[in-house]
Amino acid sequence: MIRFDNVTLDYAGGVRALDDVSLDIDAGELVVVVGLSGAGKSSLVRAINGLVRPSAGTIEVDGREVGSASPAELREIRSDIGMIFQGFNLVKRTSVLNNVLMGRLHVVPRWRTLLGMYPAADVEVAMQALERVEIVDKAYVRASNLSGGQQQRVGIARALAQEPKVILADEPVASLDPPTSHVVMRDLQQINRELGITTVVNLHFLDLARAYGDRIIGLRAGRIVFDGPGSEADEQVFEDIYGRSLTADDVLQAKAEL
Amino acid sequence: MSATDAPVQSSPTRPAKPPVSWKLLAGGALFVLISWWAGSGRFGVGFSAPELLSGFERGQRILEDLLNPRWQAWRGLIGPFIETLRIAVLAALIGCSAAFGMALLTSRVSAPGLRSFLAGKAVLNVVRSIPDLLYAMVFVAVFSIGPLAGIVALILFNIGVVGKLTSETIDGIDTGPLEAAQAAGASHTQVIRTSVVPSVLPNYVAYSLYAFELNLRASLVVGFVGAGGIGQVLFVALNGFRYDVVSLIVICIFVIVFLVESVSIALRRRLV
Repeated sequence: MIRFDNVTLDYAGGVRALDDVSLDIDAGELVVVVGLSGAGKSSLVRAINGLVRPSAGTIEVDGREVGSASPAELREIRSDIGMIFQGFNLVKRTSVLNNVLMGRLHVVPRWRTLLGMYPAADVEVAMQALERVEIVDKAYVRASNLSGGQQQRVGIARALAQEPKVILADEPVASLDPPTSHVVMRDLQQINRELGITTVVNLHFLDLARAYGDRIIGLRAGRIVFDGPGSEADEQVFEDIYGRSLTADDVLQAKAEL
Repeated sequence: MSATDAPVQSSPTRPAKPPVSWKLLAGGALFVLISWWAGSGRFGVGFSAPELLSGFERGQRILEDLLNPRWQAWRGLIGPFIETLRIAVLAALIGCSAAFGMALLTSRVSAPGLRSFLAGKAVLNVVRSIPDLLYAMVFVAVFSIGPLAGIVALILFNIGVVGKLTSETIDGIDTGPLEAAQAAGASHTQVIRTSVVPSVLPNYVAYSLYAFELNLRASLVVGFVGAGGIGQVLFVALNGFRYDVVSLIVICIFVIVFLVESVSIALRRRLV
């Protein structure tokens, strides 16, 4: 479903975020990407939907090349990829439903978008997405009036409303407290299991990664240093990924007990 | 290494207090110099105490008229005041609508392309740099004396003010939601409609209300050059030395501007 071939990604200023990365993610997998901040986790996830472009190598999603896609092709590719963000990225001054309807933009004609008149079928898709994350009662509430956990679930609903083949989540729980983090991770896991949507999640807490990742990819300085099932990723593996011994900051559970 | 086992003994030496910056001293000296220059007799504008006093003596009769407003003249003022209100409302409606389009065109966040961004920016800067009074004088010459000239002048004034303020607000919005819309496969138009517009709409409405307040006051000034409304009546009264009528008009203006501003401020507070 997702295929990286010798992908290198340099940012202006000479920072190398990804260094000759090759990997294959099959349809229906739930992959957790771990690594220290700056290891290239975000770049890896953002390269999949073309928010950042590789300097060398190719990235294919569902058989379509992302790196060299024209703007129109890129929109087409992105419509199949839902994305969830660390900061939720909701439009705070509008309703939850309007935020979720953003996931339908790729099928809604321009004039309807301009008038804010979404077809009933698309509103129905948005409502069902809200039902799945159990927040449909807030459909007409302003997004700014929700708690962080609720906002992230709206973010998930927005991604679901795209009816995507792939969901990307860039540090989806980094702004949430531990119990809420588990709720959001369980939502993602359930969506992956029940709908069969290929899911790629960035995390930096190793216990969350182990609990939810069927497959874990470890990044260090832009290179893949581990790729295997979550059950194989023991502490030694994580020390290897992080390049140092583990501390309480690396574990969500420890943070919760503080 | 965690913070607790970090060595404590080598705390850095305290820095010496930095000297007073020469820029600050130069700025202070410049301030004194400019103040002295503005008031000095040789180059100045004749701002002196004796002249102030003699001016007050001459003005005594005028002052008496001003203190005795000609209340019975109120009937004649209703029409011009309504005209002023209409000028302000129409100019705000048309000008602020156009300003929103200009704002979207001239913000780095929402501009569709570099060329339209630069062109829009240039137009907006020119529109804003010309004072409303000059607009009024030009349009009185073009459309002849009357409210149309005032409306057109204030429309341009509103495009300048509201366009600039809204454009800067768009520059400052959180770009996260824009990224989210792009990641969902939205086109540029859709990104603007769904992410930018809802984010700035409350600010934009507040700026428009503020522009309406400014229009009310500005429509008095442009009335002086014949662009309609109560300003024109005020101008005629002043030229005819009817300071008792002038007084009544000023009182009415004060009351109306105060009322409109109170309502507008209350509304704006709810918005943002």
